[in-house]
Amino acid sequence: MSSAGATDPRRASFTPSRRVAYLLAAVAIALLPLIFTGSYWRTNLIVCALNVMLAIGLDFVLGYAGQLNLGQSAFYGIGAYASTLLVMRLGVPFWLAFIAAVALAGIAGAALSVFATRLRGHYLAIASLGFAVITYQILVNWISLTQGPLGIYAVPRPPTLGPIDFHDQRNLFYLVAGVAFLSYWLLDQLIRSPIGETLTAIREDEVSAASLGIDCAAWKVFAFGVGSAAAGAAGAFYAGFVGTLVPDAFFITESFTILAMVVVGGMGTLIGPVAGAILLTILPEVLRDIGDLRLVVYGLALTLVVLFMPGGIVQAVRLAAARLRRSAETAP
Amino acid sequence: MTIVLQQVINGVVLGSLYVLVALGLTLVYGVLVQINFAHADVVTLGAFSAYFFIHGAGGGYVASIAVAFAVGAALGWLMNAAIFAPLRERGNELLPLIATIGVSVMLENAMLAVFGPIPYAFDSPLSNDVIRFAGTFITLQNVLIIVVSVATIALLYAFMKFTFLGKALRAVSQDRETAGLVGINPDQVVMMTFVIASALAGMAGAMLGPVLVLTPFAGTSVIVKAFAIVIIGGFGNVEGTILAGLLVGLIESFTTQYLEPGMIDIVVFALLLLTLALRPTGLIAERREENV
Repeated sequence: MSSAGATDPRRASFTPSRRVAYLLAAVAIALLPLIFTGSYWRTNLIVCALNVMLAIGLDFVLGYAGQLNLGQSAFYGIGAYASTLLVMRLGVPFWLAFIAAVALAGIAGAALSVFATRLRGHYLAIASLGFAVITYQILVNWISLTQGPLGIYAVPRPPTLGPIDFHDQRNLFYLVAGVAFLSYWLLDQLIRSPIGETLTAIREDEVSAASLGIDCAAWKVFAFGVGSAAAGAAGAFYAGFVGTLVPDAFFITESFTILAMVVVGGMGTLIGPVAGAILLTILPEVLRDIGDLRLVVYGLALTLVVLFMPGGIVQAVRLAAARLRRSAETAP
Repeated sequence: MTIVLQQVINGVVLGSLYVLVALGLTLVYGVLVQINFAHADVVTLGAFSAYFFIHGAGGGYVASIAVAFAVGAALGWLMNAAIFAPLRERGNELLPLIATIGVSVMLENAMLAVFGPIPYAFDSPLSNDVIRFAGTFITLQNVLIIVVSVATIALLYAFMKFTFLGKALRAVSQDRETAGLVGINPDQVVMMTFVIASALAGMAGAMLGPVLVLTPFAGTSVIVKAFAIVIIGGFGNVEGTILAGLLVGLIESFTTQYLEPGMIDIVVFALLLLTLALRPTGLIAERREENV
């Protein structure tokens, strides 16, 4: 992960240019559902916002702490099933269930990271994959709890907040995108704090980090917990948004899709996975005409990016900007 | 008692196929310290090429295993040349793994577009001939699987032990740079390892075809077990892989008999996580450094 996308160590907390960037993002979120008024595109906007949450959560673990976690699909599923079951079986209010789902996914992630503290690289990848397989199989087989492959139907949407009704796709988008925005801001704050440098130190060289007195095990638990909590939040929204919950939505291939978003966007940057999530959500929709072959873009994009542009979209943009600047300097 | 014996036979048959798949992962890990996720799709493509050789070209079942072997070998060459060889120079540990996930997702969706999601009925003509033995039923297909697997594993073993190329493979797997110093070309050895590993996977695919639900995603269910097997057996360790493969085959047949089929993956992966937590070097420890 070393050279891929080292972050700018600028730690100045809230520079004017960043404030402008956040403001622009907020304006974009506000305008998007007004531009795309059809329910088809509004649905896709919500999927984009969910995928952004999943991708930045994974990137926190993979891109910053350098731990390849292939279990993101499981934390997504844990968040979705936990919130749904709490609401539908126990009558817990949605927002309480939401918090519980986020906490539960975070705890599950921290528990999985017990392996991460002992294993590295490939072994961790397989251990997390194993965790995802077990979680999926439990969702399929624990029929008395999850109704197995038949699924849970008529999952309610988040309840109305005063005059705001979340049955309106536009309001639901504002809610999900708002939480994605907030998650991004929180992760951004973490990354720009000394915690971010601690995590990248572990990513670059664990032995040296430990020799500086960094408790690598504890920070990995932290990174996994935060990354999975983000997936849990996405899961809690997913259930009410789609309305039906089946285990297949959380099969291990979902982890690969999220991985593709992070890598294509640019791991080790926070904005990269956002771009990757949006691109890889919209592109297959645009390519609907070519049928099943459109799903090949995930794998193709992932492979090509690793081979030719390991820093992803962010690296491509930086290269293009540098080239523009150079030609601007030499031209006059 | 008969039931137990029957399940032992079923377990060994299945286990020996898992061993063929897992040995490929272990061999590649040995020389390259890399995991190939797309190994799953070599299994699937092996099964499909055998299927179309029989149903499209009218070939025989035994010959179709050889076809799958050749298809696997070609895929192995291609994947090494296109993915692993270019990435080796970068020296990054995770990038090749991520790239093979990309290749796997790409191949699966390409197969989905070509073959469709509906399972293919891959019947082996040998499945209908049954031998009765001490109250148990053994199909000729099972006999064939055991004979081919044992012969292949024995040949591979002899190859590794006695031939120059086999010794070169083990040398590279022990220490790549030193192997280079004594005149072994590591790149050629890595290429050869990929070809062998994928040929085994393709061949296993042809024999797994009648057992699996043959869809473009068939290999995934096999490969996650193969991953568990190589870790339980100790990555890079051939004997450990054989032992763990048979163990997982037996777990699968006995779980089906005494618990329920849905529990198979849960039991196997619980064992995997337990191994990782308690004895991360695997049943037979060989490598202590890299990952644990």
